[in-house]
Amino acid sequence: MRAGRGASLVSVVCVALLAGGCASRDFYIRSLPAETPAADNAADIQQRQAMLAEAAAGASATPQADIGPPLTPEEAPSRYTYDPWERMNRFTYRFNARFDEAVFLPVADKYRRLPSPVRTGIHNFFANLGEVVSVLNYTAQLRPAPGVRSLGRFVINSTLGIGGLLDVAAKMGLSQPHTGFSATLARWGMQPGPYFVMPLLGPSTLRGGFGFLADFGTDYAINLLDLYRGTAGWALTPLDAVDIRANTNFRYYSTGSPFEYDTVRFLYVRKTLIEDDALRMWHRSGNRHAQTPAGQ
Amino acid sequence: MKVMRSLGALVLLTQLLAAHASDDPATGLADSAALRATVFGTPPEDVAPLPALVPLDEIDIALPWARPLPAVLWFDRRLRVWFSAQGKPAPLAIVISGTGSDGNTEKLSLLRAALYGAGYHVLTLPSPTNPGFIAAASSTGVAGDLMQDSRDLYAAAQQIVTHLPKKIRITEVDVLGYSLGGAHAAVLKSIDAVEQRLKIRRAVMINPPVSLFTSMQRLDELFALSIGTDEQGIDAFYRRLYARLANFYRLSDQVRIEDTNLLAAVAATLRTDTDFSAAIALTFRIALMNVFYTGDLYAGTGVVTDPRHPPRPGDPTAEVVQRLLSKPFSEYFDQVFAPYYLAHRSGATRASLVAESRLDIIGDALRTEPDYYAQTNADDLILDRTELDWLRTTLAGRIAVYDHGGHLGNLGERQQIADMLDMLAGRWAGAAR
Repeated sequence: MRAGRGASLVSVVCVALLAGGCASRDFYIRSLPAETPAADNAADIQQRQAMLAEAAAGASATPQADIGPPLTPEEAPSRYTYDPWERMNRFTYRFNARFDEAVFLPVADKYRRLPSPVRTGIHNFFANLGEVVSVLNYTAQLRPAPGVRSLGRFVINSTLGIGGLLDVAAKMGLSQPHTGFSATLARWGMQPGPYFVMPLLGPSTLRGGFGFLADFGTDYAINLLDLYRGTAGWALTPLDAVDIRANTNFRYYSTGSPFEYDTVRFLYVRKTLIEDDALRMWHRSGNRHAQTPAGQ
Repeated sequence: MKVMRSLGALVLLTQLLAAHASDDPATGLADSAALRATVFGTPPEDVAPLPALVPLDEIDIALPWARPLPAVLWFDRRLRVWFSAQGKPAPLAIVISGTGSDGNTEKLSLLRAALYGAGYHVLTLPSPTNPGFIAAASSTGVAGDLMQDSRDLYAAAQQIVTHLPKKIRITEVDVLGYSLGGAHAAVLKSIDAVEQRLKIRRAVMINPPVSLFTSMQRLDELFALSIGTDEQGIDAFYRRLYARLANFYRLSDQVRIEDTNLLAAVAATLRTDTDFSAAIALTFRIALMNVFYTGDLYAGTGVVTDPRHPPRPGDPTAEVVQRLLSKPFSEYFDQVFAPYYLAHRSGATRASLVAESRLDIIGDALRTEPDYYAQTNADDLILDRTELDWLRTTLAGRIAVYDHGGHLGNLGERQQIADMLDMLAGRWAGAAR
């Protein structure tokens, strides 16, 4: 089975390289999904109305109990990011950009041509599988309410949603973002550590990379419906990856800037630190990493 | 996999920054409403009717006159542009992006939708000040000369139009652009009036600068006023926004930062006029950093790169970024732009270089030809009173000046789009409204 997985990956790569081979010509047209400006604007209006309503209701909302004093500007982490593996990371980033162009994007383009209900089904299916790791980690984070919501989603979508193909729970108003082991570590006070660009997957931190492996290991160990270790296991991860790629509006070097690596690193680590800060059980007064490069 | 998802959020933030970077605004004397409009853009409720579907192709094209590609810009070998084709013979609208921006910004997307809905094929091009353009399509590598940049743009547009699939039938060609791209659009038409290769019918400038250099100097002034001129000012602005964003997320029970609410959250951290000015000035500075770095690299002026030891793709750039962050446009002019052009253009002086980046270089055409139009706002940050008056006098009845909107803050708004389409079609009723 291991050999089968390898062979299939190789063939996917070959087909994609052939498809992507056109990309080396001097004039190359790539069809993108059609834009939907009318619907996008309608969604913007709706979102803005919701935000305004939320802001109006915000005044009457009960403040959360134990969040402590607000973070002061002096406690913000340094603008500099802890990146001791920068040369390796830059190499990986560059590799990822080329892989994306040659393999990931052409495959995602083809995937996007599948009928929309099929793609939504695939997307929901993977999202539903992700609830398993979420329930476990919400529990480990001692956050019962989101844990129960996640469990509820899993039960409802696995049954009424035909094995997770339909997101019935969301239609019932039950939604909850995923969580994972990296967030659990953050909850209990672990710093993100050095910036780390993961091969194929992109920007992360040492803790994020470890969390990713742990989440994958958890799925593999539980082996729900024999999906992960069964005969179809080899197709699972690539399909998940393609689904996510097709739904991610990111293009390497789209601005052409020579400082994209720096920009992405800066934004990614600040985003992680802000999420960590909101997650953390205890807020220390004074931030010990205000002076050292962020992430350390 | 979650990594990829969170990348989506990041990208939106980057795009937000890039979108503003393109807006080359500001005097520091602007009022609050103008600053807010500039940052937030047209509210979705006020956007003109847009079509349900707009097909879109991404086109990569290698241009024969591009200069040798520096190793650190390996990803910019080919020029990337975007094209939407009507299924029938139709006029082509060529749209040029603002300072520093690529050819697929949110503002371009809005214009593309409106133009496509009105029956045009739409080709959107990056600004000649975008690093992707500088590397793949500039014959100098040193951006900022209005005529030279427009010539490169004109040559690139021709190559693209020539290579389009045969089934695409183009009946007429019109050209438009926003911000600095507006000035490029008008110069493009004036070049074409002589060369006749594209046979451009009409040009519409949306919030154009009158003098590239004075607009940019005003932005530096705005930067100094709202952020300061040293590292500490930049650091303080960053810390202020970071703390506000962190506290916003502590208060909300949402712990994962999702694409959709991230934009709102970042915008919500801007509160005072100083914040808005700082955001505008900083995002513009980021665009200038790219122009500065690539210009220094191509001209071999050795300000932040060493011509004898060209930077390699694996080299850390944090130090260069820090140095460039505090360099205003005047340093780019003094240390890169002027040395390059004084050496390459016979008879040029510093004063002539400044003069040649004013819209006056096509003043006669703007005054006498009926096919140049402009739209701007009375409170546009990049224009002072004299410059606005110059536009009004020069274009006479062919300019619409709206009362509010700051710099591009009403782009996509019903009246702006309706007037723009009327101007392109040659049926605009004039400033009578």
